[in-house]
Amino acid sequence: MEHVYEKEEASAGAPAEVTFADTLPAAGGAVAAPGGGKPRRRRSRYYTLFGKTYKKDNTIVGLCFVLPALVLGCIFVIAPIVISLSYSFTDAYLLRLDEVHFVGFDQFVKAFNDGFLWNAFGNTMVFVVITVPVQLCVALGLALILNTKIKANTFFRWAFFVPVMLSLAVTSFLWGNLFEQDGLINAILIKLGIGEQPFLDDPGQAMGIIIFISIWQGAGYQMLIFLSGLKNIQPEIYEAASLDGANATQRFFYITIPNILPTFSFVLITMLIGAFRLITQPMIMTQGGPEDGTMTMSYYIYQQGITFRDVGYSSAIAMIYTIFMSVIALTLRKVMDVKD
Amino acid sequence: MEKIQKTVGHSAPVHKPKKHHKPLTPARVTVSMCKWIGLTVLCVLFLFPIWWMVISSFKPQTVIYEQLDSFMTFLPSTWNVGEWFTSYVNLFNSFDYFGTAILNSIFYCAVTVAGVLLVNSIAGYALARLEFPGSNVLTTIIILLIIVPVETSIVPQYVILSHLGLLSSSTARVAGYLLPGIVSAFYIFMFRQYFMGMPKELEEAAEIDGAGKVRTYFVIIMPLAKAIFATVAIFTFMGAWNEYVFADLMFPQAQQKPLQAFLQLVNTYNPKDLSMVMAALTVSTIPIAIVYIFCQRYIVEGVSFSGLK
Repeated sequence: MEHVYEKEEASAGAPAEVTFADTLPAAGGAVAAPGGGKPRRRRSRYYTLFGKTYKKDNTIVGLCFVLPALVLGCIFVIAPIVISLSYSFTDAYLLRLDEVHFVGFDQFVKAFNDGFLWNAFGNTMVFVVITVPVQLCVALGLALILNTKIKANTFFRWAFFVPVMLSLAVTSFLWGNLFEQDGLINAILIKLGIGEQPFLDDPGQAMGIIIFISIWQGAGYQMLIFLSGLKNIQPEIYEAASLDGANATQRFFYITIPNILPTFSFVLITMLIGAFRLITQPMIMTQGGPEDGTMTMSYYIYQQGITFRDVGYSSAIAMIYTIFMSVIALTLRKVMDVKD
Repeated sequence: MEKIQKTVGHSAPVHKPKKHHKPLTPARVTVSMCKWIGLTVLCVLFLFPIWWMVISSFKPQTVIYEQLDSFMTFLPSTWNVGEWFTSYVNLFNSFDYFGTAILNSIFYCAVTVAGVLLVNSIAGYALARLEFPGSNVLTTIIILLIIVPVETSIVPQYVILSHLGLLSSSTARVAGYLLPGIVSAFYIFMFRQYFMGMPKELEEAAEIDGAGKVRTYFVIIMPLAKAIFATVAIFTFMGAWNEYVFADLMFPQAQQKPLQAFLQLVNTYNPKDLSMVMAALTVSTIPIAIVYIFCQRYIVEGVSFSGLK
């Protein structure tokens, strides 16, 4: 659209520009004297900036339309990034923010020597490395099995989706109670002869439980995404392959997999970022314990900044973690895109 | 000859019966049975906690613990339906602000959804159709914000809110809680993509009829983009309703907490009433369940839309 105007402007030149669109409003509004009038005098509806032509009303309305988002975005999206970046080189303390001293790279040095931070990082990595592949496999497996139009499958689809309806908070409170010492799970285990388990009171088992409930809650959602991805593969492709003599395994590897790869990479990256940011479940179920066994990076950053009010240190860790996550996310995007 | 014609004319009906001709070998029967058994076991694993949550909210705590080691724990203790809701009544009686928490949640969600829809949709429209100097730069920044996972959310936001004085009073805290949740790079991008896919003829016709840009958007474009508005509204509602961490931080006072954060009070209340906790969990899930049941079409659409991004 803009290009058309640009061409017209260029050919007509500055003095006498009467484009089709320009004359139109005259029909509805004040009638310009036909023929003898001086269209040159009327203010142009276009203007040029840095060699590009814009429509004036587009600019005015466009700027007004982005303004609320721009203001809110600058305050609550951009400013936090800037603040985090600048505070990471200071000793900012939450209750004394008017008295901030520049400390150079001290906070970063402190971070790399902080055993609790490394512990939180390790816990988060354990969570990511187990949750993401297992949840992906469960979701994709269920989607592949349930991707046929049988009545029973509709029921199963719904059944696996029900946990998604629970919020992370409800999931955590519910399972927290189920895994209580005198809770339902222990009652079942005793009945089965396995015996009582410490569950959330055991540093080893607590993270396992958080991993389990996260997969339980989230898998149905990714299943739905995969199902919609599978539905978009045209059945003709499968038929053609069958006619060419491809067996089920070949059809799976040469048709299904390449066709859902974009969906797969999207799900993988979103899930990975979500897993890196694990906070709600440990916050509610274990408060990071026992023995810091479920302390995660996001929770540690939150705790340092809010509970201990050490905004400077919290910001420094957040910066390091952002860089870490970005490198992984962007690399993955690159790798996945190349395959398409 | 006839066979070829058939194949050309109705390719699908001819190929379909093929599947049924596969012989039912023992191996295939076993595979199929394993599949159904596996699905059923998984299904039980996925559903039993939620079933137990609802059933337990229908019986007194003492009965829950009595029945815990028998199968009865998965069945209501009485068939007198009137008695099922004792814990729900107790919940409202024991916690003065439980009802308030529900209203708070509804209020916070309504404001968030309205704000998100208005602010992000007009921004998305501007970036899709109203070219102005810098609009391309803005689009690039938005895409960058979606791609780069920035881990700065809560702490610096809290600092900014304290600088803006939005932590000073309980009313200010409501604004401080709601404002950061309104603008979303992802939703702006989603709206932009949707508007870019709409035919330009609509706006051109409106322009010829003399409608201004603002009117064109609100009168012509918006009603035609109902699908994307519904999708964003539903996802925003679910996100806002389920939000926990930020609400927990922003509202130390019970009467301001939304439902999710209020659950913490019910769960840690001493002496703990498990039945009441389960009732509170059930109540806080019902609205989301209703949304899922009635809006599943938009949810599936939204999911596939975001998946195709």
